[in-house]
Formats: sequence, structure tokens, C-alpha cells
Amino acid sequence: MTPGGEPGESVVTVDGVSFSYEGGFEALVGVSMRVRRGEYIAIAGGNGSGKTTLAKHINGLLHPSVGRVTTCGMRTDETSVANLARKVGYVFQNPDHQLFCTTVEEEVRFGLENMDFEESESAPKAQAAMELVDIVALRDRPPFTLSLGDRRKVTIASVLAAEPEILVLDEPTTGLDHHDSEHLMSTLRALNRSGRTIVLISHDMRLVAEHVDRAVLMAAGRILVDADVGAVFSDLELLREAKLVAPPITQVAHRLAPLGVSPSTFTPSQLVQQIEVLRGGGG
Amino acid sequence: MTRFDDLYTEADTFLHRLDPRVKIFSVLLLSLLAFVLSHLLSLILLLSFIFLLLLLARARYSKTLFALKFVLRFMALIAVLWPIFDPSGTPVLARLGPVTITEPAIWRGITSAVRVGCLATVWYILMFTTSQRDLVRALVKLGLRFDFGLTLAIALRFFPAFGSVMESIIDAQRARGMEFEKGGVLTRSRRYVAVLGPAIVTALRTADTLSLALESRAYGARKDRTYLRDLRMSGGDYVALSIAIALLVVPAVARFAFEVPI
Amino acid sequence: MPAIQMSNVSVVYKGSKESALDQITLEVEEGEMLLLLGRNNSGKSTFCRLLNGLVPHSIPSTLTGAAAVFGKDISRGKVASLSTSVGMVFQEPESQLFCMSAEEEIAFGPENIAVPRAEIVSRVEWALDIVGLRGYNSRSPASLSGGEMQRLAIAAALSMHPRMMVLDEPAYALDPVGREELYSLLRRLKERFGMTVIIAEHGAEEAIQFCDRVVVLAKGRVLADGSPRDILSDETLFDFAGVSAPQLSRLSSIMRRRSLGTGSSIHTIDDAVREVQDAISTGGQEVPR
Repeated sequence: MTPGGEPGESVVTVDGVSFSYEGGFEALVGVSMRVRRGEYIAIAGGNGSGKTTLAKHINGLLHPSVGRVTTCGMRTDETSVANLARKVGYVFQNPDHQLFCTTVEEEVRFGLENMDFEESESAPKAQAAMELVDIVALRDRPPFTLSLGDRRKVTIASVLAAEPEILVLDEPTTGLDHHDSEHLMSTLRALNRSGRTIVLISHDMRLVAEHVDRAVLMAAGRILVDADVGAVFSDLELLREAKLVAPPITQVAHRLAPLGVSPSTFTPSQLVQQIEVLRGGGG
Repeated sequence: MTRFDDLYTEADTFLHRLDPRVKIFSVLLLSLLAFVLSHLLSLILLLSFIFLLLLLARARYSKTLFALKFVLRFMALIAVLWPIFDPSGTPVLARLGPVTITEPAIWRGITSAVRVGCLATVWYILMFTTSQRDLVRALVKLGLRFDFGLTLAIALRFFPAFGSVMESIIDAQRARGMEFEKGGVLTRSRRYVAVLGPAIVTALRTADTLSLALESRAYGARKDRTYLRDLRMSGGDYVALSIAIALLVVPAVARFAFEVPI
Repeated sequence: MPAIQMSNVSVVYKGSKESALDQITLEVEEGEMLLLLGRNNSGKSTFCRLLNGLVPHSIPSTLTGAAAVFGKDISRGKVASLSTSVGMVFQEPESQLFCMSAEEEIAFGPENIAVPRAEIVSRVEWALDIVGLRGYNSRSPASLSGGEMQRLAIAAALSMHPRMMVLDEPAYALDPVGREELYSLLRRLKERFGMTVIIAEHGAEEAIQFCDRVVVLAKGRVLADGSPRDILSDETLFDFAGVSAPQLSRLSSIMRRRSLGTGSSIHTIDDAVREVQDAISTGGQEVPR
């Protein structure tokens, strides 16, 4: 299931995009960014920052009022959402907004049917997608009777089945407990390693710090910063402006910067490593 | 987008301050007046009066436009169709195959259009200046059972939210390649299931929490119940109600008792 | 009198074979702020819903054992009668607000128990003020942000003058700043009014900083019960319960394993800074234990 194309080439280009909802609320203001093939990025920001609005531009659910968006070489305002769905898998925040079939397997095959795949093709594709997120055992169950974590996995399998190049996930860990959330994040990591481009929409900065390569921070419809995760966490004020809070370890690291601790420290083990190095130097 | 359940604009005009019960009664009385009046000129006078009140309601421009556009279209439709279907009277102005257009029918068409215009726009006075909660409160005060009032209020409260849920569901299915325009009857009906299924499940989950929340806040704890906002008639309310009654009674007496052609 | 007294409490939902709560024995003092920690389906929601009688009176289920809130037997008290002692806030902000204005939302409870009008008016203002929504009287709940909605839900429960607030994953839909505001509001309720506060969460990272006591639930049983310091110093506990260990707790246990720092437990950012400073400055020397 490795998508073709050169790694590093731009698969999403957002160019000077502004967007207003009916009624005039300006949700995006002059946003420009790009996503390269094989990247694992996060669009992060508080509620109402415009992060979901931006994500919905990637697969053409929304079209810019000003500017343009190009996804996999296609202008989103000149291509149908159905067409873009072959390239972009979009997982909505609330799984209940999409599940309707009587079995998990049917649900996973729904997208493939829409894309006119033959039965002989769609069966193995659905099987592969269910294996990836580990729900093969649930294939005959009605989706809406499953736990939230499992329902979320079904929605992910249902977009993965079409083997999209880009996977967009809106707050995929909301409501999941630690166990389910860790499992989901490691699945995403594996998908990314196999070449899939992943765009994660989140306000959970611990998740962002521990899993993502690059983060786009948004507030009030604008991009505050677009940089490697390390650089993003070097400015706690900026995070605050985006209504986000750095993970506790990062906050500790910032306080200890005068002693030589790097402000881009995200995990306890990273911090301990540095303690050991600094001890060696001082003692 | 403006919707019919969202015509209210918050403002502080004498119309907003009136007791909603007075507004409901007055609007009913003015509606009856539109039937009492038969002369085109009097109806135009009534319509102008209603428009004056609408102006005083200081509704948001976009909402007024939305509401009036709807009524004007309907009025135009009546004015055009009436002469086509009503061949009575002379002089005959034109005969087009089976259709006979007469001069009195044209006037009758215009008169009916204006009457319908009055009947529709007079309700806008109520809708523009009365919030949903005041309407529900007035209905409960006028004798509607509190449970029904609460149910109505909840329905009105969740209606717009449900609209955005539907939008989100449609988006979620489109993102999985579903196209609403394509395919035969069978695939089309499946598409409705793809939207209605999740909508029903979401509504049920909401209803579940809602019933727990209602109960957690002592809903139905006792038979008697107090109200934060009680409706009380003020001097102005009585004046307004009197004017509305007079507006109906005087022309009615004039027309039916003294046979004044108005 | 303790706020909560439970002895051998079990709950089985109708149509289920497993116990949602299994032999719980627990006592919570009035004025405690308690974090209930556990995975989804560990029994957190059942525990919460038991406290105001939704379980077993409204949600079909069987309750065994003795459960009392402020001395009132839950198996006898109806939800409506418990609602003046226990305020309840649910996970999703939107589906628990059903009125057309904030003030009606807050007035709804007191109206139902026939509190006089003048008293309701003052309770509305009081509740709006506490949760930081002054002047929001006629705002429609649907127009509020997620954090504001959740605070309004709290105000709507506060207007019943409860002695205990129970919140089932209240931070679910909130961003980090919204969460912080929420938890510090709850802390204020405890400190200003001596209110008992019960918060159920499946992650400990933020909420634990605000609580006095932590109860960890797994499969309907109490796995651990102690002060945040005790709980945080036991990292294996988190893995065992399937809930996310706060970063500082992980830091604390790694540092101990490698004999870095003084070995005292790390609860706050300040603790961590002090410990790491100590670890760096003592250089290569072994710290005496």
C-alpha cells in the first residue's frame, strides 16, 4: 500500500487563502502553507482557531473565498470532492457522523463502492485496511454498538481502504483513553513510515510533541508559526497565544534553560538524557 | 443564512417591550381586519400601516429583505394567476384560447394579493420583535401545558444545531467519495440512509444525555413551579391591546352594521 | 457526616452480566476534591451517576450494598430530591443545555423546586458571577464557546445550591486553556464554599494538579486511593489501570531508577525544576539515600 510519487514533493499547497462562512465570520485570513509527500504534520490551535476550516480546504469540502488550494496537482475548486477523496482520506472528529452500515466490513467498503471499485478489488482492499487498524475481529459487528475507540478505528479503516496518499484526521484521540490513543498513534506512525502523508488536527500538545515532525500553529484564522516541532515549542508565549499549553516536561525544560537544558525537550527520557550529559560536564 | 425560525432581532423598541400575549392577540385582530376590509384602498392603507410597524421593529436589514422577498413573490403570483382562473365579469379584456381575462378579475386579483400580503406581513411584526423564548412563555401562560412548552422550546433550541450536524454528516460522506447526483434509484436511496442513519443515532445520543440532564436538574420534582420571568401586563400593553381591538371593531361595525363600503 | 459513604457497592446494568461497579467501599469527606481516574468503561460514569441517583432510578440497573450521599440513602432518594445536594455536569457541553438563554438555563433547576422568583433572580446573578459569565443573561447557550458552555452547565447546577459537584469528563471538548480555566473554577468552588468536588477523567495530566485525592478505578474496582503525591510516585499503577501517566510522574520514576536527584516525589513543575537542578548540580556524586 505504498503510494507512488517522489518524497519531498509538495502534495498540498495552500496559497493566500481567506475564507468566510455564510454570515460573514472570517475563519481564515491570508493563510499560506504546504505539505510535502511523506510528511507527518499537525495543524494545532485552540477551539475556533480555524484549524478544521483549513483542513476542510485540503479535500475541497470548502473552497477558498480568496486564494487557491492545490492537492496532488489538482485545484480543489475545479475538482469534485469525490475525485479528491481518492487522494485524501478525511477522518471526521465525531465517528457517529459517518457510520451507518449494518456491519463494520460494509462500512469499510462504502468508500470503495462510491469509487466504483469491483467486488474483486474492494474485498482485499477492505481486508488490508481492517488489518492495519486491527479490527478484523469486528468485521461482522454493527459499528454503532462498538466502543468509541473502535468506532474511530472503523472510520479510519473506511478511508484507508481507498489507499489515499494523504490522511487528514480531526482530533482523532478525543474521548479515547490512554490505551486506545497510544494504539491509534502508533498505527498512524506506522502508516507514515510506509510513506503515507499525515495531517493531524489537534490541540493536544503532548501528542504533537511526541509524534509529529512539523506543526502549524493557528489562532484567529491566521498561521502564527509553521516550523519543526522543536522550534514551535521554543516559544511558550506563542503557544499561549494559540490557546495551547506546552507539555509539563517542556515547561520544566524552559525553566532550566539557564543550566543548559534545551527548550525543545518533550519527553521525560529526553530530559533525563540531558541531565546525565550536563552532570558529566559539570562534575 | 436567514431562516424562518430565526427572524428575531434583539432591540429595544416599544414593539419589543410589549407583552408577547398582547402581540399575539393584536396580530390575530389585524389578520381578521384584513378580511373585514374589502376595498383595495383600505387594504393598501392596512398594508402601509403594517409596513410602518415593521419599520419601527428595527429588524436587521437582511432578515427583513429575506422575509419580504418571500411575501412579494407570493403576492405577485396571486395577482397574475387570479385573472387567469377567474373569467367572471365584464368588460372582457382578452381571450387567449380557453382563458378569458376580465377587468374586474384583475382588480380582484390585486385586492387578494394585497390581502394576502397583509395576512403574511402582520405575523412578521410578531416574529421580528418576539424571541422564541417569549413566544413559548406566552403560549404556556395562555394555557399550554408546561411539558409541551418545554418540548417546543427544546425543539426550537436544537433545530439549528441539528442542521449543522446534518451538514457535517453530508460532508463526512462526501469525503468518502459519495456523490448525491449520481446513480439510479437504489444507490440514491442508500445515500439517504448514509445521511439519515448517522443523524438518527446522533439525535438519540443527544436525547439520552438531555433526559439525564433534565432529571439532574429536578425536572418534574413537584407539581407547582415558579418562573424566573413572569409575564405581567403594563399600562402600555393595555393601550396597545385597546388600539388593536378598536382597529378591528370600528371598521367591522361600520361595514356590517352601517354597510359602509370599506 | 461524610459526603459520600459506600460500603460493598455493586451496580449491574440491566441486560449485562458484568458489574459496572464491583464491591466498592469508599468514604469521601465533605470539602474534598477528588479525581476519579480510569479507562473508558472502568466504572467512572456509573460512579458519577450513582451519586445523584440516576443509577439506579433512571438508568435501568440494580444497586447492591449501602450507598449514601450526605447521609441520604441513594437507593431511596429520588434524583430530584438529591439534585439539591448533588450538582451534575456531563461530558458533552451541547446536549446538556436545552434552554434558549443562559439565565433560563440557570433558573431551570430552582424553578422546578419552586424557589421564589426574587430568590431565583439573585441565584442567577450569583451563579453567573462565580463561573465568570457576568452579563451573559440573555445569551443563547448555542452561541457560546465550548468552555463557556461547560461553565454555564456548572452554573446551572450551582443554582440549586448543592454541597457537591460531580463532573463526568467535563474537559472532553475543551482546548488546554479552556481546561485550565475549568479546573481552577472547580478548585475555587471547593476553597470558597467548601464544596465537595468529584471529577472523572481518563487522563491525569492536568486535573491531578488541582485535586486533593485520587481514586483509580479499573473494571469497576478501586485499584488505588491516595494523595496525588502517592499516586504520582507509582508509575506502574498508571500502566496497570491503562490511563496515561502524567509526564512528571514518569520523570520522577526514571530519575529514581537512575538515582538522580534527591528521590523525593515530583508533583508540580516547581518540584521538577528543583529536582533536576539538584541532579545537575550534584554532578557525578552519588546522592545518599
